[in-house]
Amino acid sequence: MEFYTNALSHVLSFGPLTAMIGATLLGVFIGALPGLNPVMAIALLLPLTYSMDPLVALAMVAGIYNGSMYGGAIPAILLRIPGTPASIATTFDGFPMADRGEASKALKIACWSSAIGGIASAIALMTMGPMLARVTLFFGPAEYFWIAIFGMASVAVMVGSDPVKGIMAAVLGLLIGTIGIDNLSGQARFTFGQTWLLGGLDLIVVLVGLYALPPVLQLAEKCDLKGLSAAQLKLADVPFKKGEIRGLIPTWLRASGIGIGVGILPGAGGNIAAFLSYNAAKNASDDPSSFGKGNPQGVAAAECGNNADNAASMIPALALGIPGNVVAALVLSALTIHGLQPGPQLFHQNPTLVGGFMMEMLITSVLIFALGGAVATRVFAQFQRLPGVLLVPTILILMCVGVYVINGRAIDLWVMLAAGFAGYFLEKVNFPLAPVILGMILGPMAEQSVRRALLISRGDMTELVTRPISAVLAAVTVLVIVWPLVKMVRRRRKPAEQ
Amino acid sequence: MEKRQDIVLGLIFVGIGIFAAWMATSYKGASGTYPMVLGLVLTLLGATVSIKALRQPTDQPRALVNAPAKLGTAALVSAIYVALVIPLGFYTASFLLVLAMPLALGFRRLVYALTVAAVFMSLIYLVFSVLLEKPLPRELILSLNAVGG
Amino acid sequence: MTLKATFIGLTAAAAMAAPAFAEYPDRTIELTIPAGAGGGTDTSARKLALLLEEKLGTSIAILNVGGGGGSVGASQFMQAKPDGYALFATWNSPLTTVPQVQDVAYSLDSFTPIASTSETAYTLCVKADFPVTTGADFLAELEANPGKYTYGNDGIGGTMQLAAERIFQAKGIDAVAIPFGGAGETLQNFLGGHVDIYGGSISTVLPYVESGEAKCPIVTSAADVPALEGASGLEALGLADKETLLWRAILGPKDMDPAVVEMLANVIDEAVNDPSYVEFLATKGEVPNVVKGDALGARLQSEYDALAEVSKALGL
Repeated sequence: MEFYTNALSHVLSFGPLTAMIGATLLGVFIGALPGLNPVMAIALLLPLTYSMDPLVALAMVAGIYNGSMYGGAIPAILLRIPGTPASIATTFDGFPMADRGEASKALKIACWSSAIGGIASAIALMTMGPMLARVTLFFGPAEYFWIAIFGMASVAVMVGSDPVKGIMAAVLGLLIGTIGIDNLSGQARFTFGQTWLLGGLDLIVVLVGLYALPPVLQLAEKCDLKGLSAAQLKLADVPFKKGEIRGLIPTWLRASGIGIGVGILPGAGGNIAAFLSYNAAKNASDDPSSFGKGNPQGVAAAECGNNADNAASMIPALALGIPGNVVAALVLSALTIHGLQPGPQLFHQNPTLVGGFMMEMLITSVLIFALGGAVATRVFAQFQRLPGVLLVPTILILMCVGVYVINGRAIDLWVMLAAGFAGYFLEKVNFPLAPVILGMILGPMAEQSVRRALLISRGDMTELVTRPISAVLAAVTVLVIVWPLVKMVRRRRKPAEQ
Repeated sequence: MEKRQDIVLGLIFVGIGIFAAWMATSYKGASGTYPMVLGLVLTLLGATVSIKALRQPTDQPRALVNAPAKLGTAALVSAIYVALVIPLGFYTASFLLVLAMPLALGFRRLVYALTVAAVFMSLIYLVFSVLLEKPLPRELILSLNAVGG
Repeated sequence: MTLKATFIGLTAAAAMAAPAFAEYPDRTIELTIPAGAGGGTDTSARKLALLLEEKLGTSIAILNVGGGGGSVGASQFMQAKPDGYALFATWNSPLTTVPQVQDVAYSLDSFTPIASTSETAYTLCVKADFPVTTGADFLAELEANPGKYTYGNDGIGGTMQLAAERIFQAKGIDAVAIPFGGAGETLQNFLGGHVDIYGGSISTVLPYVESGEAKCPIVTSAADVPALEGASGLEALGLADKETLLWRAILGPKDMDPAVVEMLANVIDEAVNDPSYVEFLATKGEVPNVVKGDALGARLQSEYDALAEVSKALGL
């Protein structure tokens, strides 16, 4: 306990406090602008940490990380453009809610859910960090393979009206994921002799094109020359029904658990957490068919899940020195620069710094409660008052600048445009886009893990299911696929009995 | 309409699948198996979509594009913008886009568009060039100036 | 700009070079790093860039272009203008190792070597309960059990794998290489017991050697490494000529102005030997190592040739 009270007194001084407030606000903006992502912003802040009080620098990292995970929900709800890959699942129900005039309610739910997920995650980091970190070591290639397959099973909830097209979309995503150098053999696949393809297609580039360009083109088609008045903005407060908030509590608990679970595993990220939480909420619901049509539970699950990933992803980094994602790698490199050695001794080496950073992850999550809602409605929603024809070029420029700065090359802009035009037509023929992104994220993980596992077992397939954890994971995966079918059969039988 | 669209969609994916599987035959060892399986699965799924559409008795109307003229204009202007970003420089091209896109779509309040362009571009400049210090395509105007001076 | 450049070329180069040199640098320098943010190369380059900014009096913008084991960044950088405003901070692998296994568009001639900055060795480590401890016994154990042990490395055909295979080839050892995404991932699988041997950078595994959980019989440098007490250098094992190091350097595009190269090399030399940078390197188990200009080119070439031999023998 003394560990944290001591750290808290350092964190609650002027420097770190202002840094946290400023960075959380900045993070919300970064998350809300399609193309801009927290990794980029944190990487740029990194040099500052060399000369700055490390607690101030880490406060900024925490603020940007937590703020941006929530910020991604804002355009997801208002425009159906996910600000980050992790907010794709938020579009499923967030946009339909906004469409029927409940934008402000959807934003509120997103804001609270993000804050709750973040807080739960930070508490897990502070109380069980080192213990959970040891658990992650039991996960070898075979187990990672099953996690990827488990994530793939959640594709079932997003296939839409035509399952064949949904699966086709996922396979396309898997195929896109194989582009580039194969890490296990050095073989270049589907690169057509183009060096820029050796690293594969960047997820953000495809995401921005596929998701942001179709809405922009539709805006151009609508050709609104006037813009909305303040009254037409549909930000009217839709009051919560009695018991509605209480009804969200189980979803929050479940999504927090899933987010933390996914977060502690190096390599699995917030986007997987959001999909899995959404899937779990739908499976647990009495009325799964209302998902995708503006069910607040869907927004709550997705947003809570992706924020619950954040602090948890720091657990293997701080406790073992194994960065699970790029943000964690950046935090580790900031710590090394201050002469700290990541690894099991870190907690004893500099308790003020480590404890302080965890505190900052907690406080910035709380700050989302206070700051998130206002930023969304006072600033971003107001953009919609511009005439639609002016929104078209401005969003397009934001997309381009975001995509360009990832790798600093023009070819990415063309990839984005091509993905966008394809996305526009594919949507029109009921071809769901979310499975494409899911395939791109999980495909490489599934393929590399299974091949590594087979290298280790010298080609023995049975080791994929005979190891204790992988056996459990395999069973759970089967359950997740079968459970909705069982439920569906039961529901069909019920009316027949009556 | 819907029927024909789905048949074409299915055939496109059959094409992609076969092409991917064929490419994968030249990859060595385990690195080729996985994409080849994916390609073949994609071919199967594409064929399923096409056959399902062929068998469908009813053909409901489903418009691919609502306003072809507007969509065409927007697509063309976007492509020209992307083509000009490198030669003209990011800020020049973007400023032109904020003016050209609304004009092309029939917006005639030039002062309004100019104001939005100016405010928006200065915001972008502040965020990307001042705050984040990200290198963006260099402005042609500046280098012309340098040669002239 | 090009007109001006041609003009400079046409008139007496020596006379014009001086003023051009005096002006340099008058705007932002773009530093390309062929790896993602947060890794070892990225951290070293960013820290060095801060010192260089101070000494050059200009700002340095950093561009991370990851992918393909560094070849994507290298290919993209190769097309930059050699005006001194585009620099490339890399580790040796994209230049000397990757071209052995990938069909890349660049060669060593596509760059102007400016200066190397730091170096460190790779290490092979085992769990504390591994039957043997010394370097010689370790190699004997591996030799006696062909195909029994798995070792994690930084990726197929990566410098780490080649460093290990050079030693294994000399001793006739057969160990199963398991490629991972980087040293962090290798460490995770090593600690979890999914692979028997850790192969990767020293700094990543060091905390676990200090805590007694792991022991490192071998480093891939000829000399011993002070930070790893029990580890044998290759010289002690009679394999001095099989040394393979991880080192970092700053390069420019082909055909840079020699005056600018020399000036940059001197500034980099100063920055690398700045006490704050030396101290920073020490925390990562690296030591400063500055080789400038043509000598650096020769070093790259000899490493390239040596690794070509190994990778051919491996059939990569």
